[in-house]
Amino acid sequence: MFEDLRVSVFLAARATQRGGIGRVFMNIVIIALVLTNMIFLPSIITGSIAVFNQQNVDYITSDIIIEPREDDSYIENLDGLLATLNRVPGVVRASPRYESPASIEFEEESITLGITAFDPRDEEEVTKFQDVMKDGNYLGSGDHDSIILGYLVAGEKDKTGDFYPSLGGAEVGDTITVRYTGGIVREYRIKGIFNTKSWSADYMAVVTWDEMNSVLGYENNVADKILVKTSGNGEDVDAVKRNILDYGVGEDVKTWEESLPDAVTESVESFNIINQISVVGSLLIAVVLIFIMTTIRAFNNRKQIGILKAIGIKKSIIINSYVIQVLFVCLIGSILGFLILEMMVAYFTAYPMEFPDGDVTPVVDFAMLIENTVLLFVSSAIAGFIPAWRITQENILDAMRGT
Amino acid sequence: MISAVNITKTYIMGLVEVHALRGVSVDIKEGDFVGIMGPSGSGKSTLLHILGLLDRPNGGGITISGRDVLKMSDDEKSRFRLSKFGFIFQDYALVPELTALENVIIPAMAKGMPPDECVRTGMKYLGEVGLSDRRGHIPAELSGGEQQRVAIARALVNSPDIIFADEPCANLDSENSRAVLELFKKINEETERTVIMVSHEEWHKKYFERLILLKDGMVSEDKYL
Ligand SMILES: Nc1ncnc2c1ncn2[C@@H]1O[C@H](COP(=O)(O)OP(=O)(O)OP(=O)(O)O)[C@@H](O)[C@H]1O
Ligand SMILES: [Mg+2]
Repeated sequence: MFEDLRVSVFLAARATQRGGIGRVFMNIVIIALVLTNMIFLPSIITGSIAVFNQQNVDYITSDIIIEPREDDSYIENLDGLLATLNRVPGVVRASPRYESPASIEFEEESITLGITAFDPRDEEEVTKFQDVMKDGNYLGSGDHDSIILGYLVAGEKDKTGDFYPSLGGAEVGDTITVRYTGGIVREYRIKGIFNTKSWSADYMAVVTWDEMNSVLGYENNVADKILVKTSGNGEDVDAVKRNILDYGVGEDVKTWEESLPDAVTESVESFNIINQISVVGSLLIAVVLIFIMTTIRAFNNRKQIGILKAIGIKKSIIINSYVIQVLFVCLIGSILGFLILEMMVAYFTAYPMEFPDGDVTPVVDFAMLIENTVLLFVSSAIAGFIPAWRITQENILDAMRGT
Repeated sequence: MISAVNITKTYIMGLVEVHALRGVSVDIKEGDFVGIMGPSGSGKSTLLHILGLLDRPNGGGITISGRDVLKMSDDEKSRFRLSKFGFIFQDYALVPELTALENVIIPAMAKGMPPDECVRTGMKYLGEVGLSDRRGHIPAELSGGEQQRVAIARALVNSPDIIFADEPCANLDSENSRAVLELFKKINEETERTVIMVSHEEWHKKYFERLILLKDGMVSEDKYL
């Protein structure tokens, strides 16, 4: 058995060495590209999902989001609840948000939009708005006559590019009029415009919690939602959620993942199906290619196969020598593929692809990489085995007569 | 050592049946140097292939060293050819991707000889055919006579009991042919190995111990010279 393998390896090595290096090199490059293709597209999709999730955490939900129970419209007893939350192990900060319906006017434009209130200092620890101010500045705690807007709210002078109704190009320093539903009217100076690249966050207008108290005319003790930042790195989010529930918080507590809309979860699943199809497509290309290459090669070597059989070399040794050649091509091709992939990932990490939803860097799933490489090896080995097996079945004398 | 009884072989080409062998019986003794001769198309190659287990007859029986070889599986026949037979063909039949030495040692490797011993044995036989200095050349870099000598070294490397040669001199000039025949003679005399050789050159006769003449797929003459 071992001796047979030795002969197979020897024949394969010589065939690779002297049977046309150019052809072998071309096969290696094709395998490398197949592997790159098989991993790269899914890594971009995984990368965009990661960007979407990160944006959600950074601007919409933080790590954990607390919302009113199903039948309530608000989270009540806010002060007590916040005091409790900030004591829960693993909680870095809890930041409440309150939204009041309003209309905003600027020059000839008027749009209807809820005005969100948060405490800029709480929010700084929970989300990243302060990092994405495109123009102007983030809110300060004591600000009363200032507002910050998402860039989709500010809009452009040329409104053809706007997706949502906007203020038609309001800029930092401009004054806008806000009419709250209670009849209160306020004038605000636009202090800053932010661009989070998350559409729903970029269609927000934000004033300070204190300003909202002054609009309401009382110390507000309710919230629409509370965003909770947890310590550590994501993994213990579930544990912190359990802690929060253990502390007797009776509101609707969800981790960021649980709060993703069903549509998002479903589209992630669709992406996974697309990934699978792309993987199968790549594999099919590799298999067909290797099948054809091995068929041509074994057919061209009929005479040689006949000679080897005539002098007493077992068929299995000859077949294995072809399979080994294929595996060698796969091995070198995979290494080259990994290098190409590594370079592409490094490049796109340094210079992320600018998608409308954000800057996407490829995320390679290591388990998938291993799985697909193994799949590539196995299917290639089979694709090499079949033609080699078929051609070695030929009658010795017919094979020897062939050229 | 080889006993073939009433061997028949018929090729069917479309509607035409070609009776290549019509009942050939031969009994070859250990140490015989047999020449098989006869007109073109008389069935010489066919008989050699059947005796060498490269082809199956349509009828008859063959025993080699007491074994009924027609009952063997493909792998058993491979093993038999590898360790007991040596083959030499008209067109040399070397593996083009292997050097002279590598061509010679392939059967030894397949038989399980350790690598260093393979090289030593291979060099010994290359030396015997006078090609020690050509060991690193691939067949394309060797002359016809040299290639045939490599093929002979390959046929000898596993110390076979029987050497089959189908017109080994057909592509060689008379000088090279003589060298090959002298080599066969030497192998046959020194090691008592059986040599079965197909030829159609009258002057080869003087090297043979025994002559089997075929005509129309039948033995027309079988005599010791
Ligand atoms: N594969 C084949 N298919 C059909 N007919 C064949 C085949 N091989 C041999 N024959 C026929 O069988 C007969 C004997 O062939 P064989 O090759 O044994 O002759 P030979 O004596 O070796 O001739 P030569 O001296 O020309 O080599 C010939 O008529 C030949 O045409
Ligand atoms: Mg012939």
